[in-house]
Amino acid sequence: MPAHQPADVLGLAGIACEAADEPLGAVVRMDADRILDALAALQTVGYDFLVDLFGTDTGERIELTYHVRAFATHDDVYLKVLVDYDGEAPSVWRVHPAALYPEREAAELLGMSFPGHPNPKRLLTTEGLPPMLRKSELIREAGEVQLPYE
Amino acid sequence: MSDGLTAPPRIAPEGSQHQDVLPAGLKRVPHGVDELATEHLVLNMGPQHPSTHGVLHVLLELDGEEVIAAEASLGYLHRGIEKLAESRRYHQVATLLDRADYLSGLHTETAFALAVEQLAGIEVPRRASWLRSLAMELNRYASHLIWLGTFGMDAGAMAPFLYIMRDRELILDILEAWCGSRMMFNYVRPGGVFADIPGGLDAKIRSWLAVADSYLDDNDALLGGNEIFVARMKGTGVIDAATALAFGMTGACLRASGVDYDLRRDVPYCAYPELDFEVPLATAGDNLARYQVRIGEMRQCLRLIHQLLDGMPEGEHTAKMPKAFRPPVGESYAAVESPRGELGIHLVSDGGPTPYRMRLRSPAYFNLSIVDEALAGGLVADAIVTLGSLDIVLGEIDR
Repeated sequence: MPAHQPADVLGLAGIACEAADEPLGAVVRMDADRILDALAALQTVGYDFLVDLFGTDTGERIELTYHVRAFATHDDVYLKVLVDYDGEAPSVWRVHPAALYPEREAAELLGMSFPGHPNPKRLLTTEGLPPMLRKSELIREAGEVQLPYE
Repeated sequence: MSDGLTAPPRIAPEGSQHQDVLPAGLKRVPHGVDELATEHLVLNMGPQHPSTHGVLHVLLELDGEEVIAAEASLGYLHRGIEKLAESRRYHQVATLLDRADYLSGLHTETAFALAVEQLAGIEVPRRASWLRSLAMELNRYASHLIWLGTFGMDAGAMAPFLYIMRDRELILDILEAWCGSRMMFNYVRPGGVFADIPGGLDAKIRSWLAVADSYLDDNDALLGGNEIFVARMKGTGVIDAATALAFGMTGACLRASGVDYDLRRDVPYCAYPELDFEVPLATAGDNLARYQVRIGEMRQCLRLIHQLLDGMPEGEHTAKMPKAFRPPVGESYAAVESPRGELGIHLVSDGGPTPYRMRLRSPAYFNLSIVDEALAGGLVADAIVTLGSLDIVLGEIDR
């Protein structure tokens, strides 16, 4: 059991959140605009390692998952925030530089943005490609793909 | 659609207390390469440069021989594996994952199988866990051999590569006889493994083990015993522990910076809790430290394979799995220690026959994101050695 419960830490920092103990582990749901403050507050109590950051299209909005670990005690916490399809979540690179790549990836593959990112270019795909991880982007068979020069 | 991707960089939101704070371990704001600089030369290394281990494109901003800034340009191998997994049934996903980290497919397959088992509460037979561990250790050794050979080539040592590829061939022969394929195994399935180990393979692995030690000594002597090679590695590409952790580095790269962390020991899975092994550690954080840690890991690999062969339990090789498999609604995360670090699979299930979302936490992706911090301040020639020491696999980075 960690010395500090993530939800208590966020409560002390004045950040509204909803904590749940799910089969996945400790999950904390909160608003996107305070995510940087939340990660900074958690860092001060030992949650110092960003394992991963990724987005999921829930069908209505985009759910961003920040997977953070207290390295010394092997405690993981999953912070989840919801943003609109064309919405934004502040870049968290100043607390966790590990977020630099995954934020660029989430921006291009889900079509939202991370204001404050120092290098907000595309990472994996080429200019003009639609955000492919959205559920509205269908997976096509080879025969269905129309290439522009055909 | 306004996705804001081309918008000019903005600093943290107004009023944020983190506006001017630089994270621990960073020298400066990683704003990428200024391609229009007139006084500095921007050098495009890759995407087909032999030293970039696949199709990696590195932009180097140079002031003479010195690297001022570096930026990795990715995506040449992007196949949309995460998206494609959403259209595959759970037992079909392994074929995609083999093509992510193509040097150690068994690790990615196992991470996925563990995530599915965690989601659906499936108990794996003990023998299946041991078979997974044995296959993974053989795969780890083969993957480290590729790193060793290409690392030597990066520094201009051609001959060791040929000996190392000969040694790797012996392991690939074993894995082919076992899994039916040399690289794209599709062997580990949710619930267990596809088939038991064939009769007679035990003796074949043991006869390889009998020579593997001396082969490793030879290869280590060719590179680690070479004064020129050591001089080029020592003190170059230094990454301290704080920087490594800040960028999410894991695996041998992190252990070479003095952070004692190995999932096999710290968050055990498969047969590892029952095995006896050490976690090699170094503190210098330079290219030589990463070399020494990986060579140490290869010696531990051989030790583990001995133990796995001797202690292999009897029993079933897979749990009973329904043909039309549908895990319950929920999420799960499982990670394994791949040759490159913490390889995690985050699964989101909506109760359907295919994953709703599959996220691959690629260790090499985070290890590579340190490229600007690690290369800046060094020389071009050191940049190539440092990239080699990170042991990146682009199939896994681009996915």
